[in-house]
Amino acid sequence: MMESLAVSLVNAVPALSGVPLWTMTLLVMVVVAAVVLTFALLYAGLATYVERKVAGDIQARIGPNRVGPLGLLQFLADGIKLLLKEDIIPAKADRFLFALAPYLVFIGSFAAFVVVPFGVGLIASDLNIGVYYVMAISSLVVVGVMLAGWSSNNKWALLGGMRAAAQIVSYEVPVGMALLPAVLIAGSLSLQDIVRSQGGLLGIFGWNLFHNPFTFVSFFLYYTAALAETNRTPFDIPEAESELVSGYHVEYSGIRFAFFFLAEYGDMFVVSALATACFLGGWHVPFLDAEALPVAWGNLFSLGVFLAKALGLVLLMMWIRWTLPRLRVDQLMRMSWKYLVPITFFNLLGVSLWLLVFHGKGIPRMIASLFG
Amino acid sequence: MGLKGYLHDIWEAVATTAKGMRITARYGVDPRETITLQYPEERWEPSERFRGFLHNDIKRCTSCTMCVKVCPVDCISLESVRGADKKLVLASYDINIGRCMYCGLCVEVCPPKSLTHTSGYEKATVTRGELILHFVPEDAEEIKARVAKQVAEAAAKAEAEKSAKAEAPPMGWPAPVFAAGNPGAGADAEKKPAQEPKGEPANREEPPKEGGEKAE
Repeated sequence: MMESLAVSLVNAVPALSGVPLWTMTLLVMVVVAAVVLTFALLYAGLATYVERKVAGDIQARIGPNRVGPLGLLQFLADGIKLLLKEDIIPAKADRFLFALAPYLVFIGSFAAFVVVPFGVGLIASDLNIGVYYVMAISSLVVVGVMLAGWSSNNKWALLGGMRAAAQIVSYEVPVGMALLPAVLIAGSLSLQDIVRSQGGLLGIFGWNLFHNPFTFVSFFLYYTAALAETNRTPFDIPEAESELVSGYHVEYSGIRFAFFFLAEYGDMFVVSALATACFLGGWHVPFLDAEALPVAWGNLFSLGVFLAKALGLVLLMMWIRWTLPRLRVDQLMRMSWKYLVPITFFNLLGVSLWLLVFHGKGIPRMIASLFG
Repeated sequence: MGLKGYLHDIWEAVATTAKGMRITARYGVDPRETITLQYPEERWEPSERFRGFLHNDIKRCTSCTMCVKVCPVDCISLESVRGADKKLVLASYDINIGRCMYCGLCVEVCPPKSLTHTSGYEKATVTRGELILHFVPEDAEEIKARVAKQVAEAAAKAEAEKSAKAEAPPMGWPAPVFAAGNPGAGADAEKKPAQEPKGEPANREEPPKEGGEKAE
């Protein structure tokens, strides 16, 4: 895709015809990466603001309202503060691993943005193993979190890191199993293919969510398990501030802490985007065929719809966070292994049988075929 | 745990989560649920009996030192001198409001009701010294000097009258100084017992003693 973009750029601007293709491709890649990263950081900043506002509303408070209109610039103030804070490395910490950990977490979270299908043609790289790539790269977060916990040389951090490892490894299983129905229906691991498989039928009833009862349940299972994978309340035992101070990042300060913080919000978006792409029709605009529209409009509409769906799910995460109390460690493990894993396996079986028996047709399509 | 219990657990998890989220949604959406007061712009009306900062109406104060004696944390300090009309003149009245614990005993005990709690509660200072409230605007030494001068004049006048009347020894009115309280060190407030100047024979040639020991 990058190469085709580079080719079309060279064709459009004759002055660039002397530049070798690989240089142009590299240039396009850097620009695209910068755009995606800028979006991710801006989103993460605004998400912290929204999170605090939501928390305030739910707790009958107001939330940030001092910096800028309605407190909208609060995240900039916070960012500047974090940049200016002293970067403290504990005396007995493993300095190399301590410095490495935030980058691993940050990379693990933000590299997943590469395959997020923002719109009809808006995807940094449409990998043919998209879903698999997201699951693999987001596992890098575990390594970073464990390193952070270990290298801090702090009992709270170590406990938090160990808990995080146990939790994320446990919840990888239901997350993968809950995503597989969408992969089965589309017959592809590429996220663009999965989104395309949900088109038609007024743009809403084509969603995998309404494909059959099993996929409907699957969406909620995925969302629950993914919530646990992002280490957010009610599954935030790695951070658990009332027992572990703040878990694996207790010794981090300044910009290193900001990396953990941004990674958490990046994770939230990736998880929501994946749920949107796999179950909620991705960028399909209701009542319109985004791919049939002119390129610019199609991309714009589909981008808007995708962001609305994904950010809606992020908002739901915040709502859940400020509603539910934290689970105990044993409850967390029980929930994964005794409830989510068996049910997702059952679901996978159900979807497979459904696809076999009804030749891949969902309920809405069957109803539609009844009326011709 | 049979299958029934298993399914019941799942149902309960879903139902209770939905119930909790309905409650938080109500709080989140309803703007009337916000109870935060935007403090610098909005304020609560303090209660009538609110014990704010202390205020001494020095025009009514009789320098009786009752407040100094009753204060459990020794935050009030008072200096006074005996004036020409035999009344005590307040030279300085300081309250270390940073030390005050707002028990209200001084207000209760004040005979002329000159000491009161105001409704003020906002005071932030850079140094601790700024937390000492001064109620006598003039300098204590100036007041003492002035009072001493008045006393001396009155004494001279009385002496003149007396010597004119009879060949009696002149009478002097020493101006004893009362110092009480000590915001700095909390030392003994009553170092100087009040000397009641009685009509003593004026064998005291020295001028009235100037200035209480104001330890600070």
